[in-house]
Amino acid sequence: MTTTPEPDLSMPAQAVLVEPPDSSTPEAPTLQDPHKKRSQFADIWRRFRRNKLAMGGMVVVAIMVVLAILQPLISPFDPYDQNLLNTLQPPDADHWFGTDILGRDLFSGMLYGLKLALIVGVSTMLGSMIIGTTLGAIAGYRGRFSDGLIMRTTDIFLAFPALIGAILIVRTFGSGVAPVAIALIVLGWPTAARLMRGQMLSLRESEYVEAARSIGASDTRIVMRHILPNAIQPVFIYSFTSIGVAVVAMASLAYLGVGVPPDTPEWGRLINQGIEQVQVPGKDFLWMFPSGAICLTTLSFAFVADGLRDALDPKLR
Amino acid sequence: MGKFVIRRLAQAIMVVIAATLLLFIGLFVLGDPFASTGDKVVPPETQEILREKFGLDQSLPMQYLTYLGNLFTGDLGIDFNQRREVSSMIGDALPATARLALVAIIIDVFIGVVAGIVAAIFRYSFWDVLVTILTTLAIGIPTFVIGIWLRQTVSGVWIFPGVPRSFTEVVPWYQEVLLPAFTLAIVDAAFIARLMRGSMLEVLRTDYIRTARAKGLGERTVILKHAFRNSIIPVVTYVGISIGILMGGALITETLFQYNGVGFLLVKSIGQNNNPVIMAIVTFAVLIYVLLSMVVDILYAYLDPRIRLS
Amino acid sequence: MSSAAEIDLEGPPAPLLEVRDLRVHFKTDYGVVKAVDGVSWHVNEGETLAIVGESGSGKSVSAMTILGLVPSPPATFPSGDIMLRGRSLLKMPEKQQRKLRGSQIAMIFQDPLTALNPVFKVGDQIAEMVRVHQDVSKHSAKKRALDLLGEVGIPNPAVRINQYPHEFSGGMRQRAMIAMALANDPHVLLADEPTTALDVTVQAQIMALLEKLQEDRNTAIVLITHDLGVVASHADRINVMYAGKIVETGTADEIFYEPRHAYTFGLLSSLPRMDKSRQERLVPIKGLPPSLAAVPRGCAFHPRCAFATDACLPQVPELVSVGGNGHQAACVHSDRVAMAHEERASL
Repeated sequence: MTTTPEPDLSMPAQAVLVEPPDSSTPEAPTLQDPHKKRSQFADIWRRFRRNKLAMGGMVVVAIMVVLAILQPLISPFDPYDQNLLNTLQPPDADHWFGTDILGRDLFSGMLYGLKLALIVGVSTMLGSMIIGTTLGAIAGYRGRFSDGLIMRTTDIFLAFPALIGAILIVRTFGSGVAPVAIALIVLGWPTAARLMRGQMLSLRESEYVEAARSIGASDTRIVMRHILPNAIQPVFIYSFTSIGVAVVAMASLAYLGVGVPPDTPEWGRLINQGIEQVQVPGKDFLWMFPSGAICLTTLSFAFVADGLRDALDPKLR
Repeated sequence: MGKFVIRRLAQAIMVVIAATLLLFIGLFVLGDPFASTGDKVVPPETQEILREKFGLDQSLPMQYLTYLGNLFTGDLGIDFNQRREVSSMIGDALPATARLALVAIIIDVFIGVVAGIVAAIFRYSFWDVLVTILTTLAIGIPTFVIGIWLRQTVSGVWIFPGVPRSFTEVVPWYQEVLLPAFTLAIVDAAFIARLMRGSMLEVLRTDYIRTARAKGLGERTVILKHAFRNSIIPVVTYVGISIGILMGGALITETLFQYNGVGFLLVKSIGQNNNPVIMAIVTFAVLIYVLLSMVVDILYAYLDPRIRLS
Repeated sequence: MSSAAEIDLEGPPAPLLEVRDLRVHFKTDYGVVKAVDGVSWHVNEGETLAIVGESGSGKSVSAMTILGLVPSPPATFPSGDIMLRGRSLLKMPEKQQRKLRGSQIAMIFQDPLTALNPVFKVGDQIAEMVRVHQDVSKHSAKKRALDLLGEVGIPNPAVRINQYPHEFSGGMRQRAMIAMALANDPHVLLADEPTTALDVTVQAQIMALLEKLQEDRNTAIVLITHDLGVVASHADRINVMYAGKIVETGTADEIFYEPRHAYTFGLLSSLPRMDKSRQERLVPIKGLPPSLAAVPRGCAFHPRCAFATDACLPQVPELVSVGGNGHQAACVHSDRVAMAHEERASL
């Protein structure tokens, strides 16, 4: 996996000398909307909506999800259907994306690849988030021994060169979608754990936690009610980015020949086909479509994550 | 400060040992490299001999200890495939990876730091917006994809060596390194630019910068001396880690460009189940990464006096 | 630096630092923020002028403007000027302003921990102040820094000079800041809330230090604070500011014993006093200071004022003389304030 995206340290808007509080005089012009009780969600959604990139990303993600779910129904051809008389055809009316080296319809293959990508992406995200946040929370809150133990473990996992662990795990368990997901979860949880731990560390010393402790709230209660809702935010944001990261990882593995069985129309495999196996000029569509798809996926999730970050805490902008 | 260093060193060693142990077990579980697989038929007697030769007939703990012992004497073993000394194989590939890492880092630090500073000083200007857009794209588009596009469009053009190429074709290092270095540098440059920008913006708002201006210092001095020294700290941390990761061999990028570094070697070795090579390279990568993390921590303490005493 | 003041043989000498009808307005998304709206004052050598007001009264901005530290977009200076020994500061080109910063006029800030650069040694930061304005060697600058640390009462200066700001205690840090500010023997020292971030006992020490330094060097001090207590024993004259304007000005005695503006009266009533034998209620001023983008019409204080009537509304009251020499207040009801104060004082 590539390095964790660093939280953007961008700064608040240009300082205004004095924030306008409620005007205390009848004559003063009103500068802001009369105070309405708005729910937090509505505010967040409103801010999110204003961010065009984030909205665009969300739309793309939604379309992708729909396409993936409907894949068996809308796929024009069976993605595995070979037609050796019709290999490497450029896009035309029948085959919107052309055909690959085995004469299979590329569009259907890409759709199938989309389904795979999303399945692996989301399951990886869920797995690493669940494991990672639990361990990270324990490490951050308990401190001392648990912290040391869990942190050393993450150190070990993070010390391995990118993808090595995944490659080895997949080869151990054999090829297929599940081993890939497992491998990526194993590689992905340390990042989530570190994120959560960091949040825990800073939040458990905050004053409202001290206040809760002073009135006798138990540890679990403190964590669940006071710390988690705040701590979970960056993790929630990162989970979207991590889907994109997982998709790229899976494609990279497939490009190297690791993970899904060789004839699966997975995006990374298709790229491998396109740039390694096919050396005939003019067949660029073979690698352009899948790499474009990977690109689109990662960008969309990244924009959504960025938009969420800005919407959840505009002060950080 | 000394205690700090020793503690980090001990931690580092623990991590390396744990990692290599994990790897060792992993490889063991992976299976017998000498078994008949597919079209590679190995008669049982030969398998026996090979196993004995490479010490695979011993118990696992024995093997691990032997390995550790050998490590200390610099004996990395002999690869399964072609019976060459693993150390010489790595010795050939390592400088290439080191070059790649170095060139990539130089490019991305330079671009990233300058872009970040400019974006911060001229906030909301055209340059700032440009930097923001470019970094968003660079981070959003995976390195994998950037590499693919560069390879398919630019290699073979002008000074860039063509890919794929036969292994007999010799390309001078300064050409060979360009495309992969650039591919790797793009993402890091974007991260560094963002980091630098954010850090610089934060620093420029501080009271001590206000004090510096109140002293009558010129804006140039304020930025390049007072602000820079404070804002560069997170960037240094990031770059250190980045070097560590790059030195582990950028598997995908090296493979994409047929760049004969440690990463490419590793990928090939995994395909061949070539355990000694795998062990050696991964051990090395882990070691470098861990060492560099330690150096970064120490450097951070040096750069930020507030950390030193805690 | 020659100035008209030195050759003016008639009338009082021009003040060392003079602010004339200064206006500092900021263009923001919320409208025009009138941080400083027609403020005039002056200070002379060896004098301490205190500028008192709540947050958002414009006191800090006035000081920052003197040093040229207010970035000019978004700030505008629609009128007024600042004169140092007769020379206009606002009209001066940036390069020349910079020469004055730290050499003729110096400033110390509220929180010495954040005001000192954490990654440079304290001694180096002081030495830098010297070398920016004086052409001396590194060695001499360091020696000067050493002397200064001693002068401000930091024990063991030879050791301290090589330490970092976080290794100093709060009071020592402020002393170091003062040392740095005085490095080039400025004529004017602007002190923006110099004691607010410090413990009470340390506050007293710092103020005593400032007084001593002032005696030694005849520096003019402009003390900006919201804390009337600090001002009481250390100021010669006091300006009370509210919503970007000066509402009352006079000597320390006049302000404390003969307040004539309702706001000043309010401030004094909310001060706990140890010198009263009988317990009296603290009377806070109700409400909050107004947004500087939406200053109330007429007297800015009237929405919160206990004495307010319709007479306060149509226009902004002008500063008028209310007794003595130079005691002025901008309150329509200054006589009623005087009576109320008499009543209170006689309790």
